[in-house]
Amino acid sequence: MCLGIPMQIVEINGYTARCEAKGVERDISLFMLQDDAVEPGDYVMVHVGYAIQKISEQDARSSWELFDEILAAESALSNA
Amino acid sequence: MSLNAQQWLQQIRQLPLPEKVRIMNVCGGHERSITQAGLRSALPDNIELIPGPGCPVCVCPEEDVYEAIQIALNEEVILVAFGDMLRVPVNVRKSEVRSLEQAKARGADIRPVASPTDVVRIARDNPDKDVVFFAAGFETTTAPVAAMLAEGVPDNLLLLLSGRLTWPAVAMLLASDEPGFDCLVAPGHVATVMGAKEWHFVVEQHQLPAAVAGFNNESLLAAFYSSLRQLLEDKPFLDNCYPELVTEEGNAQAKKHLYEVMQVTDANWRGIGTIPASGFGLTRKYTAHDARLKYPGYQDEARKRAGEMPPGCDCARVVLGKIYPTECKLYGAACTPRNPIGPCMVSDEGACRIWWSNVRKPAA
Repeated sequence: MCLGIPMQIVEINGYTARCEAKGVERDISLFMLQDDAVEPGDYVMVHVGYAIQKISEQDARSSWELFDEILAAESALSNA
Repeated sequence: MSLNAQQWLQQIRQLPLPEKVRIMNVCGGHERSITQAGLRSALPDNIELIPGPGCPVCVCPEEDVYEAIQIALNEEVILVAFGDMLRVPVNVRKSEVRSLEQAKARGADIRPVASPTDVVRIARDNPDKDVVFFAAGFETTTAPVAAMLAEGVPDNLLLLLSGRLTWPAVAMLLASDEPGFDCLVAPGHVATVMGAKEWHFVVEQHQLPAAVAGFNNESLLAAFYSSLRQLLEDKPFLDNCYPELVTEEGNAQAKKHLYEVMQVTDANWRGIGTIPASGFGLTRKYTAHDARLKYPGYQDEARKRAGEMPPGCDCARVVLGKIYPTECKLYGAACTPRNPIGPCMVSDEGACRIWWSNVRKPAA
């Protein structure tokens, strides 16, 4: 639950943003970022479907690398 | 923060460290990163990295899981919960239903969800049924649950709330005779939401070094280095080693929703007992969404006692950082992710599960 996933905003519709990470798209709530100016192209840190903070592209990419490592380790485990 | 992981390791190795120094983390995400990257073996032997109370599933009271199971079995509802919760066992006889997963196998309508937004959709799609959202989690989960209610939900969406605050468990450990750690690494995403300021008490009241960390090696190693230097120089301060996301005040909007929808209450932690002002209840405005009021009678007062981990299970001491997962005699023997006995082996954020995924070796 506590594993945050950075995603890039593709499209915004009200408080809902279509976001993308590593080729996967999800609808993400922007309700907790109402005070922030967010627009398509921006990156956000996502927890349980809610954006908790804006982040830079560089930080998003560094977190994706970490996420890749975790997913690789998990698939190795489930195949074991 | 411009150093890379190797450089941080070198910096740490050059420190004149005492014979033993214990750094506690209180976040399953931190423990995962540390274990995955093998940071324990990369660091000098005198540094112990201790996983502390960082798993909300692990500390979710047994009586709350029991209550969720009973509501799902006995009421015409759809019960939804984060996937981790479904396999958490309660302490009942083997012939009885021991987990939400088993209740589901007996025909209860139980669905795993990944987000509060899934819950809203399920409630909208099923207007004739109550949808009971069993919501366990720390601030990073509870704040989105509050945001969900603040934004507005259908009348048939009810909350079985088991939210917990992270810092009071650390405060409890620090107030005890033997806290069991010398430095604290504070959780980066909890601090992103709630603000770094929640953690000043560690330094101000207990003179313990502390640093907020993110989840990559650089940020974690920077936090270790910072807290070790604070210790060596005897000048503790709260360092922010995750400035990309963490500010002193956190996410003001998120906190506004959180305290509009929920109020802080005393709360029971599985295997630990009641910790003052460490849980959440719904505020008066939202009582119509309280599953405990709509479906009373499933709260078994007799179950509310400390130490109610399954027999032989040492999860309570694992959660408190008193022992490592491998020191539990069930670890890897009777208790594995496939057949978990304690919650620490169930949850992706449980120390036992994380260690088993990466280390696997039971104690020699």
